[in-house]
Amino acid sequence: MTTAREQILQAVRDASGRGEHTADSVEQILRESEMLLDGIDICRPALRLIDIVDSFMARVSGPKVGASIDRIASLSQLPTAVARYLAANAKPAAITLQPTSPLLGLDWVAAGVTPVRDRDDGVVVGLARWGIAETGSIVVHSAPDMPILHNFLCSTHIVAVPTQRILRHLEDYAEAARIAGDPAPRNACLITGASGTTDIEGSLVKGAHGPRELCVILVDGVVQV
Amino acid sequence: MQAAGSSFKSRAGAALADATLKSAIDRTAGNAETKRAAAVGEFPQFDEARKLGRRIKDHVIVHLEHYLIEFERNALRSGAKVHWARTSEEASRIVVEICRSAGAKRVTRSKSMLGEEIGLPHALEAAGIERVETDLAEHIVQLAGETPSHIVWPAMHKTREQVASLFNEKHASPPASESIPDLVHSARQDLRQKFLTADVGISGANFLIADTGAVCTVTNEGNAELTTTPPRIHIVTAGIEKLVPSIDHAFALLRLLVRSATGGDFTQYTTFHCGPKRPGDADGPEEFHIVLVDNGRTRMLAEGLAAMLRCIRCGACMNHCVVYRQIGGHAYGATYPGPMGSVLTPAIDGLANSRDLPNACTLNGKCAEVCPVEIPLPTLLRGWRDRSWKEGLEPLTVRTGIGIWAYFARHPFFYRLATAVAVHWMRLFRKGGWIAWMPLAGGWTQHRDFPAPQRATFIAAYKAMRKGAPNDNGT
Repeated sequence: MTTAREQILQAVRDASGRGEHTADSVEQILRESEMLLDGIDICRPALRLIDIVDSFMARVSGPKVGASIDRIASLSQLPTAVARYLAANAKPAAITLQPTSPLLGLDWVAAGVTPVRDRDDGVVVGLARWGIAETGSIVVHSAPDMPILHNFLCSTHIVAVPTQRILRHLEDYAEAARIAGDPAPRNACLITGASGTTDIEGSLVKGAHGPRELCVILVDGVVQV
Repeated sequence: MQAAGSSFKSRAGAALADATLKSAIDRTAGNAETKRAAAVGEFPQFDEARKLGRRIKDHVIVHLEHYLIEFERNALRSGAKVHWARTSEEASRIVVEICRSAGAKRVTRSKSMLGEEIGLPHALEAAGIERVETDLAEHIVQLAGETPSHIVWPAMHKTREQVASLFNEKHASPPASESIPDLVHSARQDLRQKFLTADVGISGANFLIADTGAVCTVTNEGNAELTTTPPRIHIVTAGIEKLVPSIDHAFALLRLLVRSATGGDFTQYTTFHCGPKRPGDADGPEEFHIVLVDNGRTRMLAEGLAAMLRCIRCGACMNHCVVYRQIGGHAYGATYPGPMGSVLTPAIDGLANSRDLPNACTLNGKCAEVCPVEIPLPTLLRGWRDRSWKEGLEPLTVRTGIGIWAYFARHPFFYRLATAVAVHWMRLFRKGGWIAWMPLAGGWTQHRDFPAPQRATFIAAYKAMRKGAPNDNGT
């Protein structure tokens, strides 16, 4: 008795009128798939500003993403920037930190911010791997020091992203992840704004299930991610 | 999933008489149409991007066997378990078996039209497993005991007032008011604990990435990640046409999908899921299952419907369809409504069960105009009409009527005679240039008046004009 797998593959083969693939034909398919993307520049939006960091910042704070944006000179200034955001938005100065050493090593108490254990619907501060200027997205990869749920259970999501890791287009992220040796983590999340829904009468409401607001903080200088 | 018990005609009639439904559809579809136009207007490369989207999908369809095998190999390498299902029943059975063997009591589900297509909600309920829909619109539909009426906005048929009434009845903490933010907050509270206590999370897939074995989901709510991360098991159900060669190809299609679906540029949450939790990972499912579903797709490939396998489920065709905008999704009586549904449903459910759907179309071509992967929907719909005729599925009244018309069309003398008699007959019932009632025309005149014809037929007027006689308008 043939399995479902064999029957489906046979049906595909019958419909296409082809025989089994050979090494040559596989190579040819790969070449064709790469050639499809040869002219990608005329198929994707051009950045509105010449500088990709300016483009990223404009995109993040623009109406489509609708997040807050800040920029600091070094990671050591992050606690102060977070404290400033929380005070300006009348939020309690209690945060849950992504358990990653660059953030855990900062002096949060001196800035008047208290790190707390996981708090549902609270404030989470994390560190993104990359930012993408085309869409205003930040990218996080699941890892021992990156719980994916942190990005989704909070009410206020504050994410630091190194300025030097802002990329131009979505495809540049794919290439950067390959170069970093992490092209397919368990979860790669491209986050482009707060959780929103238009499910009732097409009207946009923030805070559907996840964060009600997103704050992106660009960090100049060297940051270990 | 053909709705039983009523005909398309009766469902459409009921929908047309429902003023609240019309208002609900206009609010959401009207918004979607406006936002899409703005998003496309801001993306001058859209036409080139469309051509690329079409080429990517066509490339995958031509080499589908290769990509299926490559995806499977890479998914297995990532630690995923890959299952294959020929039919909807087989797919549902596989999912239910996984849930049962895990002793699952509660399952959360992120919106997936494929899940609806294979009847998964019903199969889970029949197995005694609690199903929690986590997409807000699906949550509304589940509470109302209904089915989705749109592939992107499943609760498009509901007004805010109807949702408020539903939440007041069903939520432990009813909404503070009928305002949409209060309704959303009420759903957030109701679903939060359910996300965290589910045994299994089920999602669909917007794309299957062949060169990594990853699965891409897109949401604006973030419910896909909340559905798939906390439970011990994540199950993906996906049609075999969802494959793309790489993440780069997925990005090219995502640019089209989001703009066409919601008028955004990119969804808030675009996530690639690749295998189960890895050693040391802070969270994630311990088991990751992918169910690859055929359910008529290979038949479509063999029977000249390969172009329909390009569909990326954006819903733009229905938002712009004059028929959908009048009758909504439920009248179609199938999982997929609107133009794309009228092509897909006969392939999935059989033409004999759905021959009305390809006829529920004015062939105005708007759907093909907005389709982000250039599917020739009107051509495919005409193909089903043709096939329905050839297979003898059209009712006797239609066949007889067309037979009579064909006779006259082939005999111009009798055709002109008949139309001349008809014109004079119709003018007997005119009043102020309109016909409010006429025998055998009740189907039209009970809803609207019919314009009275001019005194002579077109051919008679043309001949008179050639002879220099004044025409009916006196010019």
